[in-house]
Amino acid sequence: MLRATVRWTLAAVFPSTDRLPGLDRLDTDASLAAFMAAPAVIRAGLLGSTLAFLLCPLLTIGWPLPAFLLPRDALDRHAAAMASSRIYLLRQAMLMLKTVGGVLWGGHPEVRAKLGLPLYGPDPGTFRGDDLRPPRTDAEPPA
Amino acid sequence: MSTAAHAGSVGHLAFQPTGDVELQADYVVVGSGSGGSAAAVVLARAGYRVVVVESGPWRDRNDYPHSMLGAMRDMMPDWGGTVAMGDSIMPIVQARGVGGGTVINSAIMVRTPGDVLHDWARDHGLGDVFTERAMGEAHDRVDADLEVAPTPTGPDYGRSNAGLLEMLRSRGFEAHPTARNVHGCVGSGQCLQGCRQGAKRSTNLQWLPEVIERGGLVLSCAPVDRVVLEGGRAVGVRGRFRHPQNRQRGGTFAVRAKRGVLLAASATQTPLLLHRSGVRSAALGRFWRSHPGAACVGVYPEPVDMHHGATQGTASVHFRGGIGPGATLQPGVGIKIESLALPLELVAGRTAGAGRGLVDKLTDARHQALWITAVRAEAEGSCKPGLFGQPNVRYKPTANDRAALLRGLRLLAELHFEHGATAVRPGIYGLPDSIGPDQLHLLETPPRDNRGITWVLSHLFGGAVLGSDPSRSVVGPDLHVRGARGLHVVCASALPTTLGVNPQHTIMAVAQITALRLANAGNPAS
Ligand SMILES: Cc1cc2nc3c(=O)[nH]c(=O)nc-3n(C[C@H](O)[C@H](O)[C@H](O)COP(=O)(O)OP(=O)(O)OC[C@H]3O[C@@H](n4cnc5c(N)ncnc54)[C@H](O)[C@@H]3O)c2cc1C
Ligand code: SF4
Repeated sequence: MLRATVRWTLAAVFPSTDRLPGLDRLDTDASLAAFMAAPAVIRAGLLGSTLAFLLCPLLTIGWPLPAFLLPRDALDRHAAAMASSRIYLLRQAMLMLKTVGGVLWGGHPEVRAKLGLPLYGPDPGTFRGDDLRPPRTDAEPPA
Repeated sequence: MSTAAHAGSVGHLAFQPTGDVELQADYVVVGSGSGGSAAAVVLARAGYRVVVVESGPWRDRNDYPHSMLGAMRDMMPDWGGTVAMGDSIMPIVQARGVGGGTVINSAIMVRTPGDVLHDWARDHGLGDVFTERAMGEAHDRVDADLEVAPTPTGPDYGRSNAGLLEMLRSRGFEAHPTARNVHGCVGSGQCLQGCRQGAKRSTNLQWLPEVIERGGLVLSCAPVDRVVLEGGRAVGVRGRFRHPQNRQRGGTFAVRAKRGVLLAASATQTPLLLHRSGVRSAALGRFWRSHPGAACVGVYPEPVDMHHGATQGTASVHFRGGIGPGATLQPGVGIKIESLALPLELVAGRTAGAGRGLVDKLTDARHQALWITAVRAEAEGSCKPGLFGQPNVRYKPTANDRAALLRGLRLLAELHFEHGATAVRPGIYGLPDSIGPDQLHLLETPPRDNRGITWVLSHLFGGAVLGSDPSRSVVGPDLHVRGARGLHVVCASALPTTLGVNPQHTIMAVAQITALRLANAGNPAS
């Protein structure tokens, strides 16, 4: 439920356009799951910013509704208005959403392929002494 | 149970889920980044047994991430969630892992400018220690070890780097291809994720293996909790292993140091570690400084492909001594200018707007060139322990700092237009998302406060600074932490001023001079 709400919010910040797929169309489950398991400071920022996005359409476009009840155009105006809000904390909340959304969107192979950017390989996440890692790599010093 | 014997034979000990590791060394170095590794290798070469204790894991190039998600998760403390608070919230970018900042930085190497050494001598009483000669020799040694050379301006230089170089020179401003510690750089523009090509001479590849070959040991996944002080003398460190992925706490470690402890945990962690260890000084956590920076994006009719080329291939120190209106030389707050290949993920986050308008603006990602300016800020902040033990950094660039930044951004915007950009994205709140050449004047009035600027801090200084005045410094000119014999600081937190140039070369030189003094003070234990 929580993850679905965050995913919906990030998709409102990075929606599909005529030329590029947005987070509403891309499978970013694994990346989002990683963010949901990030250190508390990141999770708190992400959840707080999501909450702010959901609750503040009254402050941004004057609609007394939570964001998830807004029609598509109004939702888009709300997102844009939050990014340029006079209230600094709202802008910062949007910056947090854009940072996380940007990482999900900008790293996605479909987006990168569409833009003609090199695709990323998988992130191994391994380190020396890790059971999941091959015992030696070329860069290791002699034992 | 002690695993000391086992550790001694392999040279590296990673996360230990249980048990107590107890080790002996001549010197313990806490933190393995620019300062820690530079000091460790000097002590190891002098014949001392060195144990380097690093809070993050040891990653080799095949372990490095490709994406920014991986870089945040694997390479940065708290996923890059450290911030400085003043009247605005400013992200602090740092690394965590064996090699510290040298793994993710852009490899730019700049020698300490003479005026900095002059200031250190005149204002901080350090003239006998950090002489031009000693620093020059240290820089020579580092350059040779890390294969420092100017970035070649051939086909792999990259259009964004070449454009900035050409435009600065066309105005008669000093500009140069950056000198970098790389060998065989193919210009993948991915330094921030760690160099998978193995070209960057980061200290996990260069110095730490040598420390191990010379009988030393690296402990990774091992955040030091405190320095052990006995009778006013540092005799070791202790802490508990922490798993880098699931953050699970493991067994304990304790390293006993016969000769001394060198702290190199960075400008955000060393002051906290000293505090946790019971060191008390009016200057601890104070005199915290930075080179806060911001970016100016030009949008070009043709693809620029800024990800092609050295991550930061061009720099200018023309305005290091100050910048006046109309890009004139004017003594005051100085700036430095550089090109930067920012991954699309981060460009997306810093582009103005949200929703369809934002995604539309990113359609031209390949046509963007990002040039940055960083301020040699006069602001002074602090780094103290926060409620949960995290760094509580208070920092607020001054009105002069903002004015200098705006002048730098305006200059970059002009250069973009002169180079053929059709639009510039200044990234300043209150200005249009995108401006044309007839709107440059909008960049003349700095925002009233720092909330209008997307500052980023990656060059940090101070918090446990060197100096002769006990009320203004934590480390004396004898290079010992006051009140704690055998305890030394060899990372960015020791630097008493900003530099106006990229800091790692200076940090390495200061660390090596400190280590050399220690090495020369006594024969290595047999
Ligand atoms: C993205 C980026 C690009 C940069 N580019 C350049 C550049 O091109 N040129 C340049 O000169 N500078 C550059 N810098 C700055 C430069 O990397 C830093 O100034 C420099 O690395 C700082 O050195 P340090 O020794 O103070 O700390 P670091 O290199 O940050 O090392 C500190 C180490 O200590 C470890 N540590 C922290 N706490 C503990 C603890 N309690 N116990 C054990 N270990 C601990 C950390 O995990 C870390 O590995 C860049 C920085 C960043 C973030
Ligand atoms: S630009 Fe690419 S190849 Fe060159 S040092 Fe950086 S990561 Fe390595």
